[in-house]
Amino acid sequence: MKFSLTDPYYSEKLKVLDVLHKVIDPELFINVVDLGLIYNIDFCDSKHVKVTMTLSTPHCPMGEAITNSVKHAVELLFDKVVAEIDLTFSPPWSFEMLSDEGKTQLGLK
Amino acid sequence: MKPNLAKTTPLNTVLPFYATGAMAFVVLCLLLVMSGESLTTHYFNPHLLSIVHSAALGWGTMVVFGAVYQLLPVLAEKDLYSSNVANFSWYFLCFGTIILVYSFWDFTTGWLMITGGGFVLIAVILYLVNIIKTPSFKVMSIQMNFILSSSIWLLITVIIGLLLAINLSFPFFKINHLEILKVHAHLGLGGWFLQLIAGVSSKLVPMFLVSNSGRSKLLNYALILQNMGLTLFLIDSSFFGFNKVRVIIYVLFAVMGIICWLLFLTDSVVRRIKKKIDVEMKHSFVSFICLLVAVCLLPIILSQDQNNIILLYGMLLFMGWITGLIIGKTFKTLPFMVWNEHYKKVIGKMTVPLPKDLYKKSLVNLQFVLYLLGLIGLMFGIYFQSLTVIQASTVVWLMLSVVYFLNVMLVIFHKAKINYEV
Repeated sequence: MKFSLTDPYYSEKLKVLDVLHKVIDPELFINVVDLGLIYNIDFCDSKHVKVTMTLSTPHCPMGEAITNSVKHAVELLFDKVVAEIDLTFSPPWSFEMLSDEGKTQLGLK
Repeated sequence: MKPNLAKTTPLNTVLPFYATGAMAFVVLCLLLVMSGESLTTHYFNPHLLSIVHSAALGWGTMVVFGAVYQLLPVLAEKDLYSSNVANFSWYFLCFGTIILVYSFWDFTTGWLMITGGGFVLIAVILYLVNIIKTPSFKVMSIQMNFILSSSIWLLITVIIGLLLAINLSFPFFKINHLEILKVHAHLGLGGWFLQLIAGVSSKLVPMFLVSNSGRSKLLNYALILQNMGLTLFLIDSSFFGFNKVRVIIYVLFAVMGIICWLLFLTDSVVRRIKKKIDVEMKHSFVSFICLLVAVCLLPIILSQDQNNIILLYGMLLFMGWITGLIIGKTFKTLPFMVWNEHYKKVIGKMTVPLPKDLYKKSLVNLQFVLYLLGLIGLMFGIYFQSLTVIQASTVVWLMLSVVYFLNVMLVIFHKAKINYEV
């Protein structure tokens, strides 16, 4: 995921990305960013942020816990900001979406 | 269309099955301790029948019902049809099993045994209601097909079981009772447990290991071959009696089906991204080895009819395969259900424990050691017909069941620990 330096919400997006590094998948114990679950972070306006994300498997039993966790973490970061989770399986999650850090934590590197 | 999140079955519907199953496992091991000598006599003896029914119904089927009620909405992508129907199935399965286990132990044939069998049949019909009414049959995954076919085999198994109970008091079978008993046992093992486990494991193993097998066609072959073998076995045995040569052919179909399913799982393990295999998954691997060894014993059983090999075969399947899978998978599913219920609404807002913190990992490690010790001891004891070794290993099994029971109770009675400092 890349953010443009000219993006008016550049620093906010970096903060969101930073806080999502603390949201852990309860089964794999790896954060959702390094797991590659976060596809996009978009500020519609200063009070409304949309996080586009996926799950490692459709209908994952832990799906609600993971999406709630992302929503709560973002909303706690800013004052009176509403976070919307846009769950998608297009493209579906694959191993290639893991970051280098995620691969290291899973013992793939 | 926007994707939906998985639905979850209410926890108070699922937990009684796990709690009762854990309790039944302790009772089963206690019965084994009390009646070790039944493993040195012919398999058709009251205590062994009681032990087998406490294993198959009170332990295996009880936990499987709970797990399926939890997993069905995930597989069917819809809410469970009725939690109330599921709750009623628990009452009938629980009381039916208690009655059956008691009446076999005492060998009280007649209306008591028939009532127990009748209760179990009602429980299975109620289970089938949820299996049939929950999914949309327009799009059926291979896992749902496995679950559906296993349920139908369960129904047939239980109907034959009830007829056997009736036949003990009011004989009406024209074929030998023991021949029908073999059909009853193999439809239960090969139809109900095998197909259910094949369906559930083909979903859960890739999910837990974060894997994606490219050989999913193997599951289609597995479903067709296993059902072909069982159907031919049932029809042939019912109409023409138990013929060993023809049975070998039907067994070959089923074995090819088992191999296809295990090849799929092996491919999932090879392609996994979660490299570290935890102790819970190690239980599964040992259990699959037990299944393979049991299958390898089938030609010996069919050719020699040796009682100790038949007992070895049965114990490998019940204590090695089914029990190994359940005690391992319990801690891959139950803590997540309880954790989800307690923390899914607050996670991210505050520090919460992880699902693995809901049970004691040290007890799962101990459980694995006891499982290996108990299994090896029991197999040696039965093969060499050594009562001392059998009795010593049943004590190990009892210790294992208590360790498992305590850990399950820790999860079930977990109190939410919420720390408001993030």
